Amino acid sequence: MLFFRSEERVRGWCSATGYPLRPLVRIDQLWQLAREWYSTRLQPESRRPQPAEMRQIFGRLGLVGDFWDPQSDAFGGGAGRPTRG
Amino acid sequence: MEPERAAKRAIYQHFASLGSRPSVHEIAARVGAPVPEMREIFRRLREQRVLVLEADGESIRMAPPFSGIPTQHRVAAAGVSYYANCAWDALGIPAALQRPTTVHSRCEQSLEPLELEVSTDGPEPCDWLFHCVVPAAQWWDDIVFT
Repeated sequence: MLFFRSEERVRGWCSATGYPLRPLVRIDQLWQLAREWYSTRLQPESRRPQPAEMRQIFGRLGLVGDFWDPQSDAFGGGAGRPTRG
Repeated sequence: MEPERAAKRAIYQHFASLGSRPSVHEIAARVGAPVPEMREIFRRLREQRVLVLEADGESIRMAPPFSGIPTQHRVAAAGVSYYANCAWDALGIPAALQRPTTVHSRCEQSLEPLELEVSTDGPEPCDWLFHCVVPAAQWWDDIVFT
């Protein structure tokens, strides 16, 4: 999970590393994600969002599709490290 | 407060106050529990994905959004310096602290530095982008890589 200066930089990095290009997220969207995930994290009752909550959070921000589905099997099993192209 | 919740609270209070990870001994002392019991609590918190531990089974690598080790994502707030696990967590720290911060990171391709002011209302206008290569369903298969 990394920052990039522009889409051109993301594409250049994917080309150089062989990792696939994934959906791009704007900084204002990332802030909303950070708030949803962490704004109560210092409270004892806090907990990570569960899969259904994750889908709702992503959906509210327009982040939809298999990539954002926490229970999707569209990308197969494996070690969580995508195969380089 | 039961020991597991007390430990979680103490771990996050330590990170928020000092920016660094607490040891199992420090949390045991803070909560008033024996160290072996606290090691077991740390293990359970790992199973619940509250913590990520080092290979020694007790040193905290991650208490998201906080990192227990230095990373390329640093957050400064009120004279305290924090490390985040990733770009998402770099904004997660200001969200958790709910105070003005400055996020220091970089473009992974060009290595151009990013310095982003984040108020309690959110970051200043910024046209940088966030990119993650791992699908959400696989984030915890290898959370350190993610």
